[in-house]
Amino acid sequence: MVRVENISKNLGEFFLKDVSLHVDDGEYFMILGPTGAGKTILLETIAGIYPPDNGRVYLNNHDITRLPPRKRNIGMVYQDYMLFPHLTVKKNIRYGAKSTNLSKQEISQKVNELADMLNISNLLHRYPGTLSGGEKQRIAIARALIMDPEVLLLDEPLSALDNETKAKLRKELRKIHTLTSTTMVHVTHSFDEAFLLGSRMAIMNQGEIVQMGKPNDVFRKPNCKFAAEFLGVTNVFRGKSIVDNGIAYIDIDGLKVISTDRKDGQVYLSIRPEDILLSLKPLESSARNSFQGKVQEISDAGVIIRITVDIGVPFVAAITRNSFLDMGLKEDMVVFLTFKSADVHVF
Amino acid sequence: MPEQEPNTIEKKEYQSTQSLFRRLRESSFKIITILFGLVLAAFIVILLIGVVTHTTPQALIESILSGEIQFAIRLSLITSVISTAFCIIVSVPAAYALARYDFPGRNIINTLLDIPLALPPLVAGVALLILFGTTSFGKGLADAGIKIVFTPLGIILAQFFVNMPFMFRVLRSTFQGINPRYEYVAQTLGSTEAGAFWRVTLPMARNGLMAGSIITWCRGIGEFGAALMVAGSTRMQTETLPISLYLNMSCGELPLAIASATILIVISLVSLFIFEKFSGFTRVF
Repeated sequence: MVRVENISKNLGEFFLKDVSLHVDDGEYFMILGPTGAGKTILLETIAGIYPPDNGRVYLNNHDITRLPPRKRNIGMVYQDYMLFPHLTVKKNIRYGAKSTNLSKQEISQKVNELADMLNISNLLHRYPGTLSGGEKQRIAIARALIMDPEVLLLDEPLSALDNETKAKLRKELRKIHTLTSTTMVHVTHSFDEAFLLGSRMAIMNQGEIVQMGKPNDVFRKPNCKFAAEFLGVTNVFRGKSIVDNGIAYIDIDGLKVISTDRKDGQVYLSIRPEDILLSLKPLESSARNSFQGKVQEISDAGVIIRITVDIGVPFVAAITRNSFLDMGLKEDMVVFLTFKSADVHVF
Repeated sequence: MPEQEPNTIEKKEYQSTQSLFRRLRESSFKIITILFGLVLAAFIVILLIGVVTHTTPQALIESILSGEIQFAIRLSLITSVISTAFCIIVSVPAAYALARYDFPGRNIINTLLDIPLALPPLVAGVALLILFGTTSFGKGLADAGIKIVFTPLGIILAQFFVNMPFMFRVLRSTFQGINPRYEYVAQTLGSTEAGAFWRVTLPMARNGLMAGSIITWCRGIGEFGAALMVAGSTRMQTETLPISLYLNMSCGELPLAIASATILIVISLVSLFIFEKFSGFTRVF
């Protein structure tokens, strides 16, 4: 188990501010954040590259804050692979085995096993310079895994790859995680990756962790404006909330929205576009929020079409292409938006 | 409209002569600049050929095989190789430190290490002579058996002092060009900081190291001013190739002087060629 307690580190351009998190054994933990959020320094601090200015790092309840990287048994994989260009693929993978007390046969066997698992057996005698990004990243992962690391840190391992390779390697990472049950900490700026791989995730911004939890929960209930916007939740509004009788009445520039999230005063609220029903006539339903408005913009994103409707403020609803065609929606048409008060998330 | 036709044709003609003129002007500019390059290159080639062909080939070979020139070749090779080795030993850690670490006084040290580069070699030589010839430190060394002044050791010291900045600069820019994350990864794979440097950074710096060594060695072979001050110009004792050239020029032994010059030219050309080959990966200045 990795536990980070109140870590601060200032490297000028990049910094960490009082970061705490814990990752359980065998967990696949995602750290999500924009460029410059301090994700890489966090990983490098866990790996022991820099001593933190403040705070402590624990591995299996041992304080490793002052331990040099080589004594931590924590593996590191960078976005740019960092394969040693002067060594063959085989020697790259074998690099770390020198400091273990494995025999030559055991090392060769291990190299072959890892190469098999990662489908790079045919590359062992090549030099890294001529390989593709996906191949390089597999080698970098194999090189880290030969140490049997307690924890594997992955710094945007898929960001430099094309979409097809990305999807392939993502499955591969999941497979490695299942096969080796290594604890993984994976940094990314892509929500898809976080959602598809992570059992839990943290969102980072400006050197701080702003939210932590299961991807589903974080996605449904971002706890601040940054998290909501970063996760791509489109309908985020600021309003004034008055709680009465267990229900919040929120005023957004004159528009009154009802929510079951009870929070008073100045609040942000978000509604996922998928949770909004769009209809040509007013709906008789149990949903408490229903508004009339004009279609302002139609943006075609393939199967899903996003319709911006002005109901005093612009709301985005997402509907399928089929219902879009059935309804014959056009700009300036009058439509109705309906959503449940339970889907209005207030923070 | 018919009235406009002649007008358009005239205009077209005017435009085409205009553009021809422009092209000519552009290309004449191009031609002139290229000519400058050609003249400079020709000047250099003529100069070098002039030296090499000044005596007959026979006289040249005879001079090269003479005892004095043989001595000078040997002394030059030995001193320059040793001084280059010292430059490597000292510059590798210093260049690494200044490329990687941020510490108080870093900028000042960077500037100080460049001083020998800007200093006239004669002045560098005088400074070395004063330190090792007149102070109690220099006398103490001499008493301990390390005689610097007027010995080949002085030549090595002079070459080291004057050429160290070249090695240092090439290596510093080489190390700066190597992402420290290579070392970080190596450290997570069980290496110490020194181990990561030895197994990863240094092999990756190979081209810079080669380029730096070549340029340092080449300049060591040609070192004159500082060496003259510290080691003097004693025939068959501190007589390196440039010193030999100087001595034989001043007493009119032209064939011997030309022999030294020819060897220096050949060494420079070969070094330059090798340096260009390796320095594609590093920037010197």
